[in-house]
Amino acid sequence: MSGARFRTRSSFGASLLVPLALIAITVLAGVNGTPSFQGTVTLTLCNLIIVLGLQVFIGNSGVYSFGQLGFATLGAYVAALLTLPAAFVVLQTPSLPDFIAEAQLGPLPSTLIAAAISGLVAIVVGLPLMRTSTLAIPISTFAFLIVVYNVVANWDRVTGGSGGLVTIPTTTSVATAGLWAGAAVVLALAFKWSPSGYRLQATREDEVAARSIGISVTKERLIAFGISGILCGVGGALMAHQSGVLNPATFYFGATVTTVTMLVVGGARGVLGAVVGALAISVVNELLRGLEDGADLFGAISIGEAPGLAAIGLGAILLATMVAMPNGLSGGREAGELSWVRRLSPMRPPSLPKSDGAAAGRPPTGRVSEGGLDAAGISLAFSGLRVLEGVDLALAPGEALGLIGPNGAGKTTLVNVLSGFQKPDSGVVTLDGVDVTGRSPSRLAHAGLGRTFQAALPFPDLTALESVAVGAMGMGVGTRRAVRAAAEVLGRLDLLEQAELPAGSLPPGGQRLLGIARALAIQPRYLLLDEPAAGLNEGESEELVAILRNVLADFGCGILLIEHDMGTVMDLCPRIQVLDDGATLRIGTPEEIQADPAVVESYLGSSFLTVADA
Amino acid sequence: MTELGQNLIDALALGSLYALIAVGIALVYTVMGMMNFAHGEFITLSAYALYVLAGLPFAVAVAFALLAGSAIALVTERVAFRPLRNADISTQLVTSLAVATILQNVVVVAVDGRAQSVQAPASISESTSLGGIAVPNLEFLTLGLTVTVLAGLGWLLYRTRTGLAMRAAAENFEMARLLGVQADRVIAIAFAISGALAAAVAVLIVMQTGQVSPTMGLTPVLVGFVAVVIGGFGRIFGAVIGGLLLGALSSLLGAYLPDGLVPFRDAIVFTFPVLILIFRPRGLLGGATGEARV
Repeated sequence: MSGARFRTRSSFGASLLVPLALIAITVLAGVNGTPSFQGTVTLTLCNLIIVLGLQVFIGNSGVYSFGQLGFATLGAYVAALLTLPAAFVVLQTPSLPDFIAEAQLGPLPSTLIAAAISGLVAIVVGLPLMRTSTLAIPISTFAFLIVVYNVVANWDRVTGGSGGLVTIPTTTSVATAGLWAGAAVVLALAFKWSPSGYRLQATREDEVAARSIGISVTKERLIAFGISGILCGVGGALMAHQSGVLNPATFYFGATVTTVTMLVVGGARGVLGAVVGALAISVVNELLRGLEDGADLFGAISIGEAPGLAAIGLGAILLATMVAMPNGLSGGREAGELSWVRRLSPMRPPSLPKSDGAAAGRPPTGRVSEGGLDAAGISLAFSGLRVLEGVDLALAPGEALGLIGPNGAGKTTLVNVLSGFQKPDSGVVTLDGVDVTGRSPSRLAHAGLGRTFQAALPFPDLTALESVAVGAMGMGVGTRRAVRAAAEVLGRLDLLEQAELPAGSLPPGGQRLLGIARALAIQPRYLLLDEPAAGLNEGESEELVAILRNVLADFGCGILLIEHDMGTVMDLCPRIQVLDDGATLRIGTPEEIQADPAVVESYLGSSFLTVADA
Repeated sequence: MTELGQNLIDALALGSLYALIAVGIALVYTVMGMMNFAHGEFITLSAYALYVLAGLPFAVAVAFALLAGSAIALVTERVAFRPLRNADISTQLVTSLAVATILQNVVVVAVDGRAQSVQAPASISESTSLGGIAVPNLEFLTLGLTVTVLAGLGWLLYRTRTGLAMRAAAENFEMARLLGVQADRVIAIAFAISGALAAAVAVLIVMQTGQVSPTMGLTPVLVGFVAVVIGGFGRIFGAVIGGLLLGALSSLLGAYLPDGLVPFRDAIVFTFPVLILIFRPRGLLGGATGEARV
């Protein structure tokens, strides 16, 4: 199989080794230092774990959360209360249930329990919040942070109130923090390179396209939110056991700004960025505080107590990064993806074979099915303006149906209705006999419906191979099989040579093909192609027609082809439906359509005449 | 009965204050698509202008505070936000967070990290009796100001060429630009108004609490953000409704919660939007959400 020779970026070991090495160096630098320096290094590593927690959610989803420090608070308090000696607990938090008050666990079990509780709460909080939008999530998570602060600061008899907790056993050493940070790096990378991580990254790159290949945006965000909650809980728990004191302001607004700055400055999209940012900002922070008053206050990152200069410096660094270098120091790349690392690495990317995909025999698609994709009486109006009026459409399995009509006839709207992006006012859509009217795009994709868009909607930051593989992952296929399937599809579409390039770097024709490959990767029984040749030059367009012919022959799915270029449609589709002004004008063979006076009239002055002449 | 009336007027007054905050944030969001964290610091800095000018006659100090609010908003727009006008919403949000952090700590460095007290004029601290209810004059001022501001904003948006340009920019920024709307001017006007609104809010808050502090903008900006989310992004009057609801809720909870729960009022108030979002993920008026269209 040709696919076995390809890899996603997940296979570059340097991506894992470089961040681990950075952590190891930090640990070695700290382990023999003065006690105060050891404390500084330990806190840096705890912050690093929290920043990795932010990276899992923010980096992969592209959506900011300002509430993750709420989970650090939770983890810190849970771990602290579980480890405080019972005698101290009674003094500080008289209303705590006995079994917690009497519990005096070791550092490891308390951290694990804290992590589990933080993760669980993250899932519960995320359930409603992840359903909202890219802009509502940062705000509602910020509200969550305030809720946590308010509860912790006022629930005196359980949390010690605004005075906080003291005499927490200080069990977190430099080495423990380093081990946990290493584990956090492994977890964050493993998530990023899991099918779920790739699906989430796809939603970051293009939400609409991601939904069209069966990805549930809400679900993928929720999973990452939960994992992020776990990591933040660990970071909080370790930090409580480093400093021995804890108060509600420890992980509040100031800490949120600091950790977000670390992530953004390092480069939010990568685990490397999280590590580099956390280390770099910690050093800068330390220097700034030194400037401020010479006091060794690092780590006490509550803005209420921090004098202003360091915070101004941080704010200025964050502002400069956003303006001049939005992808951060690492450019959002992992270590294995940096060109200079790849040059040093013995693991060069494999030389790519000339496309041998066509030799691979029958494709995995082409599940033969009864039924078809049927729409009956679809009507839709946008604020009173009728766009579709009682349109019927029937696409049989394995059939190629052309859908043509002048601009504004309602072709794209019809495709949006068929693929679930638009609910019709009335009418029924059935897929192989099942009523699927009003189902979400991602559920329809799972039911066997693929589509492309008038714009290519690439996932610019994923490679071509990953872009297509994520389509298979959207169907729940594991990474290895998804990569094989993707290489297969890329081979058939003559895209193998570009497999390891970022999708955003392909030329327009290549991006367009990639969109089709991505839709094919979900193994659709029906594929809706919305003007695949739009915006392509003549050469690219001809190439595309040749490839579409292959797709029709090879993949065995029913295809609905919207296309302006009449020659292309007539060439590829034995049956054509003409839409005009939101209603079906005519259905017939290319010859019948060409001979129909009503069709000719609706196209008067457009490309139809030239085609008819040709 | 009297108590109920008192509580309702308090609720309306706090709701009005929150609505003023939310409108300032919503205005910038409509023309630029940016949720501005630094709005809280517009409030803080205007309040400090009032503090610095405390020796002057009150009306003069207020006028300067309003000017200061507008000026700060215009400067931050020019320096920090203009380069990122076409960036995505998350980038803009984090940029405004950076600006907020800088401005907040400029106050810490220039004045002090601790709160400073400011004396309110006696006429504002007193109450007026209204059918047996003693209504603080400050609440009259808040209500009057809110009604005036909303009426003025309505007039600006729907009766003037500038307002037309702003609404056009809100609908489709690129198209408005092509049709000759001067983006720089529209955005600058929105920021100037937003800054003045922040200053008005600052005056009301300072009169209420009698003090200024570097972090005084944090809760208001969050209240404003949440009000905009509740109302639905991109709907100015949605923000007004969101602000009124939040303020009324907060005020009534303060009056009717059992004593033991009063400290948790903020927690309840900020959980409330989640309940709304469960049933209406796009907010009450369901505005645009920055989500791409097919």
